[in-house]
Amino acid sequence: MRGNFDYTGKLVKFMLRRERIIAAIWIIVLVLFSVALAPGLETMFPDNETRENIILIYDNPIMVSMMGPIFDIDGEFTTGTIYAGMMLLWVMIAVAIMNIFIVIRHTRADEERWRAEVIRSLPVGRLSTVHAAMLTALIINTVLAVLTGLGLAATGTESMGFGGSMLYGAVLGASGLVFAAITAIFCQLSASSSGAFGLSFLALGGSYMLRAAGDVGNEVISLISPFGLAQRSMVYAENELMPLWGLLAIAFAFAALAYKFNSMRDLGQGFIPARMGRREAKKSLLSSFGLSFRLLKNSIIVWTITLFMLGASYGSIIGEIDRFVGDSPEYLTLVGLTPELLDTLSDSDKADMIVDGFGGFVTIMMTLIALVPLLMFALKPKNEEIDGRAEGILSRSVSRQKYLAGYVIIAFAMSIIVQLCTVVGLYGAAESTVREGEIGEVAAILNPFVFEKLLAANFAYLPAMWLIIGLAVFIVGLLPKAGGVVWGYYGFICFMALIGNIPDLLPAWLSNLSPFNFIPEIRVTNFDLFPAAESSAVPLIVLTGIAAALTVIGFIGYRKRDLITH
Amino acid sequence: MYMLEIENLTKKFGKFTALNNVNLQVEEGEVFGYVGPNGAGKTTTIRVLLGILQATSGTANVFGKDAWKDAVEIHKRIAYVPGDVNLWANLTGGEVIDLFVSLRQKSDKAKRERLIEKFELDPTKKCRTYSKGNRQKVALIAAFASDADLYILDEPTSGLDPLMGEFFVEEVLNLKNSGKSVLLSSHILSEVERLCDRVGVIMKGNVIKTGTLDELKQSAACADGKLPDSMEELFMRYYKVSEGV
Repeated sequence: MRGNFDYTGKLVKFMLRRERIIAAIWIIVLVLFSVALAPGLETMFPDNETRENIILIYDNPIMVSMMGPIFDIDGEFTTGTIYAGMMLLWVMIAVAIMNIFIVIRHTRADEERWRAEVIRSLPVGRLSTVHAAMLTALIINTVLAVLTGLGLAATGTESMGFGGSMLYGAVLGASGLVFAAITAIFCQLSASSSGAFGLSFLALGGSYMLRAAGDVGNEVISLISPFGLAQRSMVYAENELMPLWGLLAIAFAFAALAYKFNSMRDLGQGFIPARMGRREAKKSLLSSFGLSFRLLKNSIIVWTITLFMLGASYGSIIGEIDRFVGDSPEYLTLVGLTPELLDTLSDSDKADMIVDGFGGFVTIMMTLIALVPLLMFALKPKNEEIDGRAEGILSRSVSRQKYLAGYVIIAFAMSIIVQLCTVVGLYGAAESTVREGEIGEVAAILNPFVFEKLLAANFAYLPAMWLIIGLAVFIVGLLPKAGGVVWGYYGFICFMALIGNIPDLLPAWLSNLSPFNFIPEIRVTNFDLFPAAESSAVPLIVLTGIAAALTVIGFIGYRKRDLITH
Repeated sequence: MYMLEIENLTKKFGKFTALNNVNLQVEEGEVFGYVGPNGAGKTTTIRVLLGILQATSGTANVFGKDAWKDAVEIHKRIAYVPGDVNLWANLTGGEVIDLFVSLRQKSDKAKRERLIEKFELDPTKKCRTYSKGNRQKVALIAAFASDADLYILDEPTSGLDPLMGEFFVEEVLNLKNSGKSVLLSSHILSEVERLCDRVGVIMKGNVIKTGTLDELKQSAACADGKLPDSMEELFMRYYKVSEGV
């Protein structure tokens, strides 16, 4: 058909203009993050010996399933290969999220708001919008790829040469482009932007899981995942180019498919038809709390299942924990088992200590993931307000406090539910998979977890979670346009939790800005040979107090200010 | 007692003055037309009356109560249709109507069904599939199905076709006949002419004239004594005066 792509160039310019601030922030943060960590890694692992040690910690199914493989050069590991092994996957996930947002914002979301109609009424081609969105993603990914590559090369790290660095950037950008194209397809299939979001994030999670399954099992499975394929470029080791071409080919093919679907449908429609709904409301909907619960219901269900499954998947590898013991003396040192101690401890005590260390790590990881829905829920009233829907409720006889409470109560209640899900998943899976004598050669016990202790260890994080929810309520009440602050603080906490425990890397005051720093580590097994570090409830009470204060101030502020109107 | 009374109301957003010393009263059983160009301050006035925005100075009372402090109490007796109706993509029109009505009182099923039929709304469709006109119908049906004392309607027919506009006029006349009070902000002057007992004209945040239609026409008479023969002409004269033409 002629003229399908008319005025794409102008649309690209327009989209880039709308993207200029958000994309710039993404690029700057990602490039800085990528570049800043390279020199640190070099100083942390200056010689072969230290590198071998860290590899030993990483070389077990749990770590490989989470991080992916680290590749070697003829059996030797360099700062570069370790960097690529530890970093690439996470940055790829961030870039994938960026691309999902870009494509949905300019295609399905615009269509939903009937902006696309205005554009389409101009002498613009039928496929111009989706094509322009893909080109916009291409440009942003290219800039990101080039800056990351140049930045890494400019660190002057010996094992991170120019070629490898540029390949690292290129693979990063190409994997992002694959997700842009996948999202473009879902934007055709689903008739709503929320549907497209859901499907795209499902694809993202699926890619991560496929890669995890393939990395510990059959490598061919990893190649189906864009993440797994990208990692097979073995940056800074073999520097394979084939995966890069593969990714670009996949992106191209998916984009073509999206164009095909786009040309087959009407504006505003999708292939998955919109279902008819209820003619009358159920009784449960008919209150402001009923409404907020209804709006969050699907999220609550999905996140509950997700956290349970994640907990269960961690719990199910407890039986494999002997790999730690067999392959990794460093891990033992990490959890406090010195060679001298090893000789004096019974096998089951050793297993308990290993599981304790693992339990602490899993608890932090799971808490970080569980915070995502909590923040989404607590910030939801702000989005409802900005989108003009809060006005519809608050112009009826519903007070501001009651309206806000509808969301805040769910966020706080959900904090308990998510922690419970993690614990039940972890414990249940361990209970059903660990058979007698299976914890390596060191122990002959059943499930090493003690339920109450596992529960206590996870619930100990609740005050920290409440503090972050409190911050969100505070922002909603006083500075509703600054919702990004909450996500920024969340990012900081993640960052501190992941690298903050490396000794002497960061100043203490910086670590203390994260509430996680005050949460006592609670043992999750029966191990009691020597007492755990002294812990007190005072920090937990203080965190809860701050959380309560922020929440109350938020509520007062929400009552006193004008609603955001247009 | 007035149903609503605004005295010397000023509302500023930063340096911008959206409302400047506005005075308005709506009496019981009266349909009051609130007219003025886009951005003149009609919606801002209504939002202050609903306690969504707080007055910078002056007072806004509804049923003798403070619009900001007693908002929840006041809202029990108000039905409101916003000019820009934003609904939840995942709920159906029928669900939203029930929700809106129930946030004030028990819903009257027969009334609801009659209105859904009259305005030809498919209540089983999700709101994301509704056009502007259909979203407006949802809000209108919810308002007319409520038994309120004061109806605040902010450009309620801007997305409706003429036939639906006619149904709207019918429903407002019903309200008027049963002694209800209505504040109707509108661009559609024929609607105002047919429905409103008194009219207030607002331009650039100032209410420049209030009175019955005849009074307004008199005041806008040309030098030769010729009265404007339509609301459109009346409106244009005010507009030119305010622009200093």
